[in-house]
Order: sequence, then C-alpha cells, then structure tokens
Amino acid sequence: MNSRNYDICPECDLLIDLAQPKIGEKIHCPRCDLLLLRPRKQSIERTFAYSIAGFILFFPANFLPLVGITLLGNVNTGILMSGVIALFTIKMWPVSIVVFLASILFPLVHISLSLLISGHLYFNHPNRNLVRWMRWMHHLDEWVMLEVYMLSIIVACVKLMAISPLELGWGLYAFISLIIITTLISSSLDKPLFWQRIEHLAKVNPHVR
Amino acid sequence: MYAKMNALKQGFIRCHDCGYLVKIIHQLTTCPRCDSHLHERKPHSLERTTALLLSSFFLFIPANIFPIMTVSQFGAGDAHTIAGGIIELIDSGMIPIGLLVLIASIVVPLSKLIGMSLLILSVHFRWKINARRWTKIYRVIAFIGRWSMLDIFMISILVDLVDFRGVHIIAGPAAIAFAAVVILTMFAAENFDPRLLWDNQ
Repeated sequence: MNSRNYDICPECDLLIDLAQPKIGEKIHCPRCDLLLLRPRKQSIERTFAYSIAGFILFFPANFLPLVGITLLGNVNTGILMSGVIALFTIKMWPVSIVVFLASILFPLVHISLSLLISGHLYFNHPNRNLVRWMRWMHHLDEWVMLEVYMLSIIVACVKLMAISPLELGWGLYAFISLIIITTLISSSLDKPLFWQRIEHLAKVNPHVR
Repeated sequence: MYAKMNALKQGFIRCHDCGYLVKIIHQLTTCPRCDSHLHERKPHSLERTTALLLSSFFLFIPANIFPIMTVSQFGAGDAHTIAGGIIELIDSGMIPIGLLVLIASIVVPLSKLIGMSLLILSVHFRWKINARRWTKIYRVIAFIGRWSMLDIFMISILVDLVDFRGVHIIAGPAAIAFAAVVILTMFAAENFDPRLLWDNQ
C-alpha cells in the first residue's frame, strides 16, 4: 500500500483515501469536517512575493508612529516598541514581554521564516535547515497576534477620542498593510505542498543533508 | 469510501508537525521527513491540559477582582477592574466597543475555561457525546483564544500614550494574571488532542 495516496485527518484520525485535489478545490474531512487540503494557485511564487513585501513593511510598521494624542498642549505618539517599554518601566515586565513577543518578535520571525522557506523553494535551493524552519513556523502560527493588536488600537482610539484629538500616523497605515500581507501569506502558503517540495529537494540533493 | 476507521487501528501514525504518514510496524520514533518526535496521540494530553486549565481557573480569580488599570489624574487614582472598565464604556455610550471588550475579556476566557473542562471530563469519563459536534466546539475554542489578548495590548497602548504631567495610566496586578490566563488556556487548547474524543466512540 502506497501511503502517498492516503491522508489522516489530524483532528479525528480518520484514514482517508484522497484524490489529488484541483487548484481552488477545498477538501474537508468527511467525518469531522476539518479543512484538510486547499491547494493554491502559484503557492510558492505568491508566498515568496508576499513575504518580501511583508518583510519590508515590517520596518515602517514598527518605527513610524502609529497613533498620537494631544493633551494640555503636549503631544504623545506611540509605536509598537514604546508600549512595550512603557510597560517595562512601570515594572510590568511579564506583560511587557508577552506584548513584545506577540506583536513584534514572533511576527518578524514568522515573516522571515516564510521568506527564507519560500525563497529557497522558489530558487530550488536545497538547505538542510528548511525542515527546521518549517516546524518553527508551524508552531509560531498561533502566536502572531497582529490582527488582535489592530483591534486593540481601534478600541484604545475610541476610548482616547473622548479625552483628546487623535492623530493617525504613517506607521498605522504600514501596520494595516502588514496585517493584510500576513493574511495573504497564510492563505497562499500551502503547507502540504511546501513539505512535499522540501522532501523532494532533499531527495534530489542528498549531499546537502 | 474507505472504511470509517481510526488510522491508529489500521496501523498508521500521522506526524504532528508535517503530516507525514508512518506505519506503526516500522517502529520509528522520529518522523522520516521532518525529524520531529512521533506520537500516536499528543503525549500526556489529558494531564497537561488539566494542569494548564486548573492554573488558569485559579488565575482567572485575581484577574477579575484586582484592578487591571489605574487612571491617575493629578494625584487622584481611579482603579478599574476588567468588569468596571466595560461598565464605564457602556455607561459613556460606547456600547459596541463595550460589548467587544466584554466578549474578548470575559465571554471568551470563560467559555474557553468551561468548554475545555467539558472536553476533558467527557474524555476522562468516556461520556457518550457527539464527537463531531465537540470536535467543532474544540476548533472554535482553539481559534478564539488569542483574541482575549485584546485587553492586554490595549493596556500597553494606553499606558504608553496617556503619560502626561498630571495624567497617566498604570497597569494593575490583574494585567499579569489575565495575560497568564490567556496564555495558559492557549497552551491548554494546544495540548488537548481532539482525537481522544473519537477514540471513545
């Protein structure tokens, strides 16, 4: 029995006899309805392109001011990192670390990994770290919380509007674009395909491993 | 259609990380494709989930009774608990935002705690449940967990921006407890193996 033609649902452990799905098709588990496969058009090329864009956008989103408020003639602007530092200085370092990881470090690592992986696959360049990077990216998926942060900005703005005029900075537009890009990356990145390609690359270039 | 049987009973293990299929007869301990450890089910799933869930239950109490944020204006401090902040938002007419915070900071963590407890109990006591329905409930729980971080991020933004001579915002001890609840419940959901629901069928 060739195990390639079979798949197992990760959430209900059903052994499924899968036909190779066409692009645009969605394959759900017949027993628990989990989305199993969703092949995308030009998955590697698009992921690579989005990752480059995301990596570039990461910097303006982090270093340009997001929102500014004015109170009693004083202006205060905030970036992602200044919130982390503010929490740190009032001795809330556990919270500060959590915010730093979920809104700055993990997004950066996640985008860098998807850039590295899709880049290597795009240029058919074997690398023995590809497997490790894929696993790291897989485990980071849940901890990249940019869109949650965006919602927090909205709620904070509504609260602050009551006490002071707001100024939206260029960083905010970069930040919104970054969220759109990360969403595009996760929808174009076809994990089963990536794993197949990595396995294939390792097979054709056995000396690299 | 292939017989609707658990893959494990037919001698297959799926790699947790890359989805590779391995035959049990080969007695491999690591995945031939991605080198991660192979397990029939997530290791010690029930014990780990229970431990993480109990910790978050206990931390949920200080998270709700201590102030999460203190607004100090010219020396006078005004401490808010999570519920107090929501009531104030609704009182001042910001009902949609108030509801949003209510859902993210109270409804989501609470339904996560209850839902995960029911999942653990139903596996442990082998309750006759609708595995399909509960797998879907599990999926929703795992998806919504991260949105509870809303309050934590909001505090970091407010503490940073509202920092003027005379007026500033300070985070309270509940912030640490609440962040811990969110993270621990996320780990709890990650450690729970929904396939255990199907093994009892």
